[in-house]
Amino acid sequence: MSTDLVVDGMIRTFSRVLRSDDVTPDSDFFELGGDSLLATRVLSAVAREFGPELTIGDLLVAPTPSALAKLIEVELS
Amino acid sequence: MSSPTDSMDITDITDIVTRFFDTARRHPDLIAVRDNDRQVSYAELLDLVRRVAGPLAGPTTPVGVLTSRSVDVVANLLGVLTAGRAYVPIDPTFPAARRGAMLGAAGCGEVIGPTLSDRAPSLDEPVSVTGKTPAYILFTSGSTAAAKPVAIPRTAIAAAVDSLGDLLDVGPGDRVLQFASLNWDTCFEEILPALTRGATLVFDDDAYSGLFPRFLRMVDRQGVTLLDLPTAFWHELVVDLTDDGPRPLPESVRTVVIGGEAARQARFDAWRTLPGAERVRLVNTYGCTETTLVTHAVDLFGPRADPARAGGPIPIGRPLPHVVQVIGDDGELVIGGPALATGYPGLPELTAERFVDRDGGRHFHTRDRVRALPDGVLLHEGRLDDELKVRGIRVSPGEVEAALCAHPGVAAAAVTGHGIGDHTSIVAYVVARPPIRDDLGAELLRHLRATSPAHLVPARVTVVPELAHTASGKLDRRRTHQLHAPQSQPHATETKEAHHVH
Repeated sequence: MSTDLVVDGMIRTFSRVLRSDDVTPDSDFFELGGDSLLATRVLSAVAREFGPELTIGDLLVAPTPSALAKLIEVELS
Repeated sequence: MSSPTDSMDITDITDIVTRFFDTARRHPDLIAVRDNDRQVSYAELLDLVRRVAGPLAGPTTPVGVLTSRSVDVVANLLGVLTAGRAYVPIDPTFPAARRGAMLGAAGCGEVIGPTLSDRAPSLDEPVSVTGKTPAYILFTSGSTAAAKPVAIPRTAIAAAVDSLGDLLDVGPGDRVLQFASLNWDTCFEEILPALTRGATLVFDDDAYSGLFPRFLRMVDRQGVTLLDLPTAFWHELVVDLTDDGPRPLPESVRTVVIGGEAARQARFDAWRTLPGAERVRLVNTYGCTETTLVTHAVDLFGPRADPARAGGPIPIGRPLPHVVQVIGDDGELVIGGPALATGYPGLPELTAERFVDRDGGRHFHTRDRVRALPDGVLLHEGRLDDELKVRGIRVSPGEVEAALCAHPGVAAAAVTGHGIGDHTSIVAYVVARPPIRDDLGAELLRHLRATSPAHLVPARVTVVPELAHTASGKLDRRRTHQLHAPQSQPHATETKEAHHVH
């Protein structure tokens, strides 16, 4: 799977969870108003769409679509 | 005004530590607590508790206990109580100044934990106490920047735990997940009914990972029978279980307790479609820190629920056996009976304002408005003040405003709640004091993160030219929010949330 596809998937997930049209590859989930409860929806979507079971700790370290995509690729490789 | 309901006789109440000692001696070989590193039997836990209590016995000042999710903290908690002293949980992640203020306000004589301090000699039997001896001192949100302590006496915790244990039928064979942080009183709803009735208390890191597949596998692996979840977390669990068509609950679960804020009708409707939901008790609960754990409960769904309830509004419940309930003319829920706090230590005026003598007994004014349905269950109809619930934790806007106004760059502040997903986050509006700096919002978030616990830090601070006021000149928090809520979030300054799910 190409990184771009994963980044796009994460942007769609952020947009849906945060109800925002302003998500870019470098948008910080928490700076867009995300919190620990909304994070559970992102983590579920990652597991469902791509497989890796990331935790809230991973999202705090990689809070943007592009950083998350890198993490997902590492997990998949 | 309604006439008061009857309450049980408080002379019947056996102290919580006596109950734990009796249970431990009756079931020495059952597993009492399990965490990621180890498990201890009731006999082993009793031994740990007596060793913690030994060096603490004598003085009567409260004991600060640094918390974590572990066997050791449970032993420290019960050891403090066994020594006849009050447990004061201190979150190691809180800013140092806040921790110091909490220890000072509670009058702590010493601090222990989070690991065991193994100092002989151990104490054979619990220190004898009266029912009025404080069991724990916690902090709730007040109207000033200072932490507001609440002292709960031994009688109150014993009465509430008795009622809850009966309500939930806790006993040997039960596995109770310890989900709540040990810094909040909800943890006693899990720890104390379990350890006074021979059940196993389970700590598991997968419970706090924020990932539901892991959470559900953990429930299955540990054979958890009883879950006590903040309503906001339960909402997300239901979303996850129903997102791709309804998925079943783990087989082992027989009861799910929720509480902390209003349950959403849509999530309740979705819950009822889950395979297996009909065999699981879904119990809604209500209570204030000042009235000890839970005062009201009702089965919403499952084997004990009234089928007639399914379509109607979601109630908070009916009073538990130990609770005296009065509904004021303005709809305010007023609580009497043995589960009342002794008050707010060091704050006599505030105590007198909320704890009032009436009908021959002390009563606590909850400021919650309720309405009774014909069968006696109550519906929550809002607050008589502006207090918010943020992921189940009480937040007084005044406390956050006071913390903001303590910064030299702030002339005035208004704080309110903003719905996001199924829950509420805190948003703040501030008027700057000259000289005005461009990065005031970011600076205020840094300031609050350094001085306030995470649940009192707003998700967003917006600098505005002025705040809205009512015709009589009072700050109008909702109107300020309506006037100034940013249309597009990124223009305001945001902050990271607490690093864990409450």
